[in-house]
This record gives sequence, structure tokens and C-alpha cells, in this order.
Amino acid sequence: MRLPVIEKSVQCSGQIADQVLRTSIALFIVSASCVAGSPPTALDFNRDIRPILSENCFYCHGQDANKRQADLRLDLRDAAIEAEAIIPKDPASSELIKRINTSDPKEQMPPPRSNRHLSTEQKRILEQWIAQGANYEAHWAFVTPKRPIEPAVKHLGWTRNPIDRFVLAKLETEGLSPSVEADRPTLIKRLSIDLVGLPPSPQEVDTFVNDSDPNAYETLVDRLLASPHYGERMALDWLDTARYADSNGFQQDGDTWQWIWRDWVVRALNSDLPFDQFTIWQLAGDLLPDATTDQKVASGFNRNHLLNGEGGAIAEEQRFVNLFDRIDTTATTWLGLTMACAQCHDHKYDPITQRDYYSLLDAFNKVPESGTPQFFSSRIRVAAPFLELPTEEYKTRVAELDLQIAALSPDAKLSADSAFEGWRAGIFADGKPSEGKGLPDPVLTVLRKLDADRSDEEKKSLEAGLRKQFDEKVRPGLVAKLQSIAKHEELKKKLADYRGDQLPRVMIMSDAKERETSILSRGEYLNPIAKVTFATPAFLPPLASDAPKNRLGLAQWLVAPEHPLTSRVQVNRMWQHFFGMGIVKTAEDFGVQSEYPVHGELLDWLAVEFRDHGWSMKAIQRLIVTSATYRQTSRMSLKLRSRDLENRLFARSSRFRMPSLILRDWSLASSSLINPKIGGAPVYPYQPDAIWEALAITKERDFTYPASSDQDLYRRSLYTFWRRTVGPANMFDASNRQTCRVRTSITSTPLHALTTLNDPTWVEAARMLAQQGIKSSPDLNAQLIDVFRRVLTRKPTEIDLAVLRRAYAKQLAIYQADPAGAKLFLGFGASQRDASISLSEHAALSAVCLAILNLDEALTRE
Amino acid sequence: MACHKYEIASSRREFLVKTGLGIGTAALAQILTSDALADAGTFAGGLPGSPHFAPKAKRVICLFQSGGPSHLDLLDEKPLLSSRFNEDLPDSVRKGQRITGMVASQPRLALQPSKFSFQPGGKSGARISDLLPSIRAIADDICIIRSLHTEAINHDPAITFFQTGSQQPGRPSIGAWTDYGLGRLNENLPSFVVLISVSIKGGAGQGLLARLWGSGFLPSRHQGVQFRSAGDPVLYLSDPAGMTRKRRRTMLDGLAELNRIQEAESGDPEIETRISQYEMAYRMQTSVPDLVDFSHEPDSVLDLYGKDVKQPGTFAHNCLLARRLAERDVRFIQLYHRDWDHHGDLNGRLPILARDVDQASAGLVKDLKQRGLLDDTLVIWGGEFGRTPYAQGEAKREAYGRDHHGKAFSIWMAGGGIKPGTVYGATDDFGFNVIENPVHIHDLQATLLHCLGIDHTKLTHKFQGRQFRLTDVHGRVVKDILA
Repeated sequence: MRLPVIEKSVQCSGQIADQVLRTSIALFIVSASCVAGSPPTALDFNRDIRPILSENCFYCHGQDANKRQADLRLDLRDAAIEAEAIIPKDPASSELIKRINTSDPKEQMPPPRSNRHLSTEQKRILEQWIAQGANYEAHWAFVTPKRPIEPAVKHLGWTRNPIDRFVLAKLETEGLSPSVEADRPTLIKRLSIDLVGLPPSPQEVDTFVNDSDPNAYETLVDRLLASPHYGERMALDWLDTARYADSNGFQQDGDTWQWIWRDWVVRALNSDLPFDQFTIWQLAGDLLPDATTDQKVASGFNRNHLLNGEGGAIAEEQRFVNLFDRIDTTATTWLGLTMACAQCHDHKYDPITQRDYYSLLDAFNKVPESGTPQFFSSRIRVAAPFLELPTEEYKTRVAELDLQIAALSPDAKLSADSAFEGWRAGIFADGKPSEGKGLPDPVLTVLRKLDADRSDEEKKSLEAGLRKQFDEKVRPGLVAKLQSIAKHEELKKKLADYRGDQLPRVMIMSDAKERETSILSRGEYLNPIAKVTFATPAFLPPLASDAPKNRLGLAQWLVAPEHPLTSRVQVNRMWQHFFGMGIVKTAEDFGVQSEYPVHGELLDWLAVEFRDHGWSMKAIQRLIVTSATYRQTSRMSLKLRSRDLENRLFARSSRFRMPSLILRDWSLASSSLINPKIGGAPVYPYQPDAIWEALAITKERDFTYPASSDQDLYRRSLYTFWRRTVGPANMFDASNRQTCRVRTSITSTPLHALTTLNDPTWVEAARMLAQQGIKSSPDLNAQLIDVFRRVLTRKPTEIDLAVLRRAYAKQLAIYQADPAGAKLFLGFGASQRDASISLSEHAALSAVCLAILNLDEALTRE
Repeated sequence: MACHKYEIASSRREFLVKTGLGIGTAALAQILTSDALADAGTFAGGLPGSPHFAPKAKRVICLFQSGGPSHLDLLDEKPLLSSRFNEDLPDSVRKGQRITGMVASQPRLALQPSKFSFQPGGKSGARISDLLPSIRAIADDICIIRSLHTEAINHDPAITFFQTGSQQPGRPSIGAWTDYGLGRLNENLPSFVVLISVSIKGGAGQGLLARLWGSGFLPSRHQGVQFRSAGDPVLYLSDPAGMTRKRRRTMLDGLAELNRIQEAESGDPEIETRISQYEMAYRMQTSVPDLVDFSHEPDSVLDLYGKDVKQPGTFAHNCLLARRLAERDVRFIQLYHRDWDHHGDLNGRLPILARDVDQASAGLVKDLKQRGLLDDTLVIWGGEFGRTPYAQGEAKREAYGRDHHGKAFSIWMAGGGIKPGTVYGATDDFGFNVIENPVHIHDLQATLLHCLGIDHTKLTHKFQGRQFRLTDVHGRVVKDILA
């Protein structure tokens, strides 16, 4: 098994510690699959050779013609042989081997100044490979997956579905056994976190724990998959992928209406819209025949990028920034490839040329957009094209205003007309109209003539000129004096303002603007060098001959059955959701620089299953969570801790901290504070004071945080307004929602601890949790068990209870002596405290609840 | 942010050895290099092999003047603009350089002299504007670079470029890179701190974006921690009202006790890390208030920074805070001062901004020097770009504005391995193009890392199949300005 340590060793250099490390890594590879201690296997190009060549050679001897040195390619077997770099079965004569072994710095490869370095073991492997005939293979991820045969296993009885066969076969080869199944409280907690992100009630736990039906587990899985909260939970990862936020992310950081797209995602996931349709709608829903509103809204996926409306922004430059973002996001999301490199030059590692990049970009280049957002109100800035989706509330309000305006119109018109007549009469009465009236010269000239001397033409233009002068210069001055006009004008302005600020305008895609696309020299929008038209990258299966040559064709191509990447990339992300890490760890990169998957066959089996059975995400997720693999305990035995700390072999379930957005939901729900409403405009729950103002450009708009009240404070984190320039303060380790992210890191820092200990969100949740507990029973033990179960699902052990009781007793003594302190501590949050509960008892139990919410077990998906 | 990284790693190793698992070196290597553990904080001193050579600077204070201070009115005197007042900028000078959307429709680009005088400072005689008398007085301690140039012409892309090496969002900031590469020096404070100041009389200016101190694709523990001037200095630092220190201690003890039971149950070494992070959070609750308490600073020190120093949120206050952070070995201290974007009324607004920062910037350098901290602290002063030698709108002797200009501008640096009392690079007579010793933003970043003992080509992180670095594939250490 190739271990992902090689890439690290390349970076490290110079120090003794590192030498030790490298030696040990070399030792590692000698024994091939030393983790398992099984005998070495034959060399495999994709597993053993490509990573070495790719990391160390392809930069200068790969497919980028501009960077290529000595006109030598090592990425193509024929070229390498022709250049005599490789002479199959004769490593000693192969120039490649001579160069990597020489001590002459002028000859040595990789060159010493390249910061690349081959270990002794890597050199030996290359020699062995050439000795064996220097066999090349296409990169595994670029070949259409075929359904692998389910491997034979010794302990078939352990397996529940094919996933387990692949997992167990590997474990048996490695001399490991699977772990036991987790207990039921852990299973229901795990499933609830993974599928809905909300804790089960103690009753639901009891029902499951006591359910003797052999299908109890599957019944629970199906109930959770059918929950309307499933879509909310699953949307989180997709929003990171789609770099979704509620504002534009630059200086004025205008708010957008993209939450309409977010609501569509939740609905689509809940209804298990097949992934091929999910893909087509989001990339090209607007291009479908008779596209529905939902299909158009879905295409907003590629309008979720940042938008720069800075004063000096050059619109066309920004338009290209947006275009590049669409390519990068689309490529990472569906192809699992980084295309950004090819914006400026042919990709160094993957077979993506600069021409491929711009040929693909052509599909996104027909949007009728300027590149910068428009001003709709001091708050709202969105960019065309968009879909106007008036809500019922909006329609009602506009109809009201229209009525009011219509009602005032006759009066206003009458007043204005009579005022005009009066003013006109005054002009004519003034035998010699002076310049003082501010009339323009042409009007004055005619006016100075006697009526009889004016031609018909002149009479007309005189009247028109007077009317214009009145409307533009005189009438505004009358507004203050004539109430009926004033009211009318005020209402009209009110309507216009309301329209700008409140008419929902969700940005979507459109191909309404014909544009030619060119390859840009070094990716600079001012330097086009050669025209291109839409095409998909040549190294992947061709576009169907009858496919439309546009975004729709692109989307259909991505989900074509022969496409090698889309299905693998998506099942890998689904696996990542349930195990904390993908089968391919580099979820964002399936290119030649990616990690070679230990469980490649499992990945392929899942990909084929997904593709051939209607692309149902729920079906694959159900398959994963009902596997024996998933149902194992996450307990890390000392053996597993030393053999497979990262759990790449799945001899146990994974254990990782919940996403911070789910942590907040969990605390709100376990304390019964949560407002389960689904969908709608974003809300503004507790944030520290002045969280936006300190950074914002305040002269153009008011950046005071518009804090929500009442039930809006307790909506799920998914609905918290996400300002792109300053993300929500209590949602740590989250994607920055600025560029596409398909993998986020889970870290542990003191700032996280401060958040879950001191943020009013958690302090209030602790208070309400304690209140629930106290009201559940007069007995302290029962209260402690109740609150513990609401958060952790399981019942506390005797030892747990003893610790909690001791902690409670200490806190109680403190608060009994300090009622004022108790009152302060219970004063957080907008929810009502039940005043019948004793202050000191409530405060003491709240302190204990705050600790429970901060237990590692409460923060962790086990 | 991870503390005890090394301690955790070694205790884990000891644990494995002591528990007699008899695991081989190879398996140990895997444990020590796995990403999972790296995220938990295995590399105490940053990446293995770092620093790459003996550093001159242990820490950096970056006094970032956001908005684009006018080099032509502060650090780069151009008498020709006065003698050719209101003439058109020659095409031979502009060379087709694109201009921003704000002046694109302007009929002509009229040369605009500075209304402010320049005088020589110190023995080195560097000519500096009358708007910066205190900085001029320390001319012998600083190195002025007059040949900096950038690629962006608007604020967001230009600041992002300065701080992350790329105009597009998504890359780690300099402070995140240094924390990632070098690790931390202090156990009780974050290693990358951001301070934001507001002008006393000026406006709020351009907005700032949290991504400027983000960690990009590096683990989020490397991101900068913003210290706030109002409310808690660090978000959620204060215990809730009614929760005293003693109560918190009691609570944390109970928490740790239950967590240890869970650790034994689950066998997950992450729990050890979590316990230590909660302990560090507890220590921060003491160390941060101590840090921001200036009551023991003598008047002689306060006077160095000027009279604003006692007012939280001012540049002067943040400069003193920066010194206190430097003393506590915080690695990267990033100040932002805003409102240097003078498209109009530069004559009225620039003096206000200069007054905000002049004395305090110089005071910080002097204070660091008198404590012996300047030798290993690198101070950088400057903005994301300069301003045009032509007026935005009409050219007028007394009242004028200037647009953004990235082709040439000035900054200064001090301490931490930089040659003092020098001026490096030069612009043409218009201050429009660099004509001598150009320094690109990537060169500045390479030089900064060099001072910290890092070879900028070797501080890399693999993401999306490629090794990324702060300087992309560019950058050259400006050896001429190294001491």
C-alpha cells in the first residue's frame, strides 16, 4: 500500500529529524504494505510509479510545452523511450536512471535547486520498474469505472452489503478484524448527526433502543432519510462547494437574494432529485426546454460567486474573474480537477491544455452580464441576469401602494394642472418675460414675439417648452406647498424604494449574449491570442455528436455513463460525509497528483452502483449507513491507533468533531430552543456587538447588525445570514464561502473552546436545558440523567453521574452564596426563564449543562 | 492555532513507547506525518526543517496603510510635477497603462504637484514630506523602498495581493504562512494577531475583509485572530456574567475529568488535544486582559506614541499594543489603518491621516529599539498601492485628488535584518514608472520570509494537486536591502 507520506518527505529537508523520518519512510516502502505487514506486491504504475514521476519530473518533462526542458517528455512512454530516457528492461543504460543516481550537480535529476528530491527507495523503485519493462498505464481516474467483482472474504457472516466485502477483504489481507457494532444510543446519535444534524429526543432513543424488530436500524435510517431536516443537513456541504453566501463579498458587500437558490437545494435534496438532474439543472437549468422556475433558479449555482462593485472596478476585468471562478468551481465540483493552472498555461500534471480551458470557458461566456453588480437599494446589489420572484407579501404590499397612488393621482394631477395654468398665465401676463424666470433661450425667443407672429410650429414648441420647464424646475418646488402633490410623490418614491429593496431577484444563468471566446495569453483578459469554440477536454470521453454545444451539452456530458470522474467524485464526497475523509483523501483532486486510493475498488463499485441505479443520492447514502462498516464502533484500540490512526482501512467507524454549524443546532435543539422552520430569508441570531461595522465601509450603507428577535434567533445555522466579508463569528472551521471548497479541515483551538463556553448562544442553551431537566423531575439524579441524555443520547454511567453530582454540588454552594451572580448567569438570551425555579438551583444546573454541552463527546460524532 | 504541538507529539510518542506497543519506526513515521495529527498540532515548531537558515527576525509588525497612501506627497518627492503643473501626462510615460473606471471618462490626465514640502532627514538625508516629521527624524533607522510595484489597480484585489500573493481570494495570508511554517513562540496568545484602527478625524475608509488574515487552504488554526478595540479584545473571551474565574475553574475541572474518562473509552488522542485547548483558552482569559492593560506603562513610553495612545482603537494605541505583543513573542502582528483613499480633497485629508500615524509609527520603532527588540522584529509600513501623478478631476495647486496607481509606490521597513538609513530604488521624474531596482510585491514577500529564515520557494503546501506558496512561482529576495 502506498502511503501518503511521500509528499511530505519531499518538502522536508536539511534536518536530522527529517533524515530519520525519511529513512523510516523508506523502510516503510521497502515492506510495501508495512502497515499491515504483508508481503510486497508487484509494482503498479498508478500506485507506485506515477506519484514519483508526477511529483518530481512532470513539472519540466510533462505536457506543458512552455516549461518543457530538453524537449523531453516522461509522461508518455513512447516519447520517453525515443529519447532514450527509458530503455525498457535496461535500467543501467536508461538516461533517467543515470541522471537520478549521478552525484554531479549539473547532471543530477531532479536538479538540486528544484527543491525536489528522490529518496534511495524511490530510485530503487524506478530502476525496478524499468527492469520490469517500464509499463505505463492511464491514470486510473481518467478511465471509465467498471463494476469490480466483490472480493471473497473469510468472515462472510459479518458483511451486510457489498461495501463490507471490499472493506473486510482488505482488513483480512492486512491481518485486521473489524470492530464490534456500536451500541444503539451511539448509533442513533451518529445517524442523527450524519443525516439530519439534530439530536433525537430521549423518547426516540428509547423507542430505538427497545425496538426488537430485526429491521429496527433500517426503519430508523428510513425515517431520518425522509425527514425534512435531511435536506438542510446535506445542503451544508453543497453550499461550501457552491461558495454560497448572502452578500457579494467586496467593499459595499451588497446583500443578494441567492437564498432562493439555497432553498431550492434543500428541496431538491429532500426529494432526492437524481444527481444527474441535480447536475444538469444547476449547470444549465435555464437552457432546458420550457425551463421551469425551479430549473432556472437551480442554475444560480454558477452565480453564487463574489461580485466586485468597487468604484474603480473595470467591469470587463471583473467579468473574467467571475468566468474563471465558474470554471474552477465547476471543474472541482464535478471533475475533481483543478483547472485554474490551465488559465495561464498547459497544466503541469494533468492532461489539460490551455486550449481545453478556454474551450470549456466558452460555455460560460454567453451570460448577458457586465461583470459588476447593480445598485437596487443601499442594501441590495445584484447583477443581471436575474429572475424576479415576487412573494405574496410583496405583491400585496405593491398592490396597496399602487392603489394609494392611483387614489391620489386625480387630485395630484388636478393640482399640478391648475398650478401649471396659473404659472403659464403669469408668464403671458408679464408682457415682457424676463430671463429671471430661467426659461431657456429658444423658449424666450418665441415668447418675446407677438402671438400673431408665432408660427404653428413655434406655438407648439412654446407650449412644450413651458410644460417641460414647469415639470422640471417649477413643480418640484411646489411639492412642499401642495399637499396632494407631495403625498403623491412620496408614495411613488416609497414604491420605487420598496421595489428596489424587497423584490426578490435571484441571479441565474442565461446564454442570451453572443460572445466570441479566445485563449488569453497568461490568462490576461486584454491579451486574446486565438479564438476557440466550446469543446470538452480531449483526454476525457468525447461529447455526444448530437449534444448541444453549450452549457447544457457540458452538463449532459458530465453525467454521461462513460464519464470516468463525475460519479467517482460525488460518491467520494458522500463517503467523506460519513467517514470524515474520502476514499480518495484529496476530494478536490482526482488528477495525477492525487492520492492513490487504498480502496479504489470500493470507490469504483460505489460509483457504478450510483450511476447505474438512477443517480439516487439517498440510495447510496442508505447503502453506506446500513453497511456493517458504518455500524462499527469508533473506538480506537491501541492496535488501530498505531496501525491506522486516520482510519483509511475502516476497521472502525470514524470519530470527528461535528461541523460548528451543527454544534450550534445541536445545542439549540437539545435545549428545545430550536425553531424548526424550513427555508426562507436569512436570519440574524446573536453575534458579538459591532461585528460588521469595524471592518465595513460605512459611508455607503448602514452596517449595523440587524439582530433578529424572538423565534428567528433559534433558526438552524443554515439560515444565519452569511456576510462574505465577515463570516458569522461563532461558526468556526467553516469554509470561507468565497471559493469552492469540497473539504474543510477540522481543527481544535482555544478560540473554539471560548466560543462554546462563552457565546450567549451556548449559555442560553445551557439555561434552557437545565430548565427542561428541572421540570422533568424533582430528583437531582433524574434531572442530571435527563439533560445528559438530551445532549449525548446515552444514559450517564454511575461514574459520570458521580462527577456531575459533585460538580453540581460545588456550583450550588457557590450560587447559594451569590444570588446576584446566579441572576446574572441566568440572564443570557431572549427566552423566558421559568421564575418558579430556584435561582441557585437553576444556575448550578445551568453551569453543569454548559459543561455537558462542552464535553468532547457532545462536540464529537462518534 | 495549536499550542503544545511538540509536547503533544512527543507525549504521544512516549505514550506509544511506554505502553510497550513495540511499533516500528515506520508506523511511528506514519503517525507523525499524518494530516490528522498535523491538524491536531504535531509540528510544534512549524514544518520540519524550518527555519531554513538562521533568521534575522523572529517576528513581524506590519503597519498596513489601507487605501493607497500617496507616495508623491509622502515619500517620493517630484519637483517636475510642479514645474509642469497641469500639463498632460505624456503618452511616453503612461505607455498605455490602463486606468481605473473612475477616471476612464476624464478628458485629460493633468499633472498634479504635491502641495507639501520635503526635507532631508537624519544623516542619510532621505527626503521625506513635512507631513511625516517623526518618521523623517528616524530616517537613519529605516529603509525606504521607492520602487515597489503591484499588479492590481483596485483596493480589494491589491490588498489581497499584498497579503496573500494572489489577487483572487482563497490563498493563505502572510501571517498564516508564517504560523504554518514556523509555528508559535508563545503558549498563551495566538501567533498571528490583527489590530484594526480608525482615524481620529478621518472617515472609516475602504472596508476590510476577514479573508485578508484568513488561512486560505491551510488549516484554519493558522488564521489571524482579530483583537477588537471595543468589547472583548478576543471574541468570546470573557466568562459570562455570573461565572467567576473560580467557577470556571471548577467547571473546567469537571469537564476534564469526564473527558479523560471518554478518552479512555474511545482511545482517541484528539481528546488530549481538546483538553489542552480548553486549558489554553483558560490561560488566554488571563493573558489577554494583561496584554491590553497599559496601566504600568510609564509616561516616557506613552509619550513616544503620542496623545492618542490611551484611546483604544487608535493607531497609536494599536502601535503600543503591537509592541506588547512583540514582547510576548507573537509571531505576526498585523495592523490596519484605513482611509488613505484620497480621490478628492487629498490636501485636506492626507494631513489628518499622516497625523494619525506619524508619531506612533516612529514611536514604535524607537520603543522597539530602546528595548533591543528592533534587531529581531521586522517593521513594515505601507499600503497596497500609491497614487497617480495626475489629478483625479482638475489639477489645482491647493485642492486636488489622485487616483490609484500600482506601477510605482513607496514603503519603508525597519529592523529585523533590514539595512537602516537607506533608500532603495527610484521612479521616473513623474513618479509614474520605476526606473531603478524594481521591487514587485512578490519580491517584498520573498524578502520578508527571508528575514524570518524562510526560503520562500520552500515554504509550500500541497492543495488541489499542486504545491502552492506565498510568492506563487515568482519572487526574488531583495538582497541589497539586507543588513
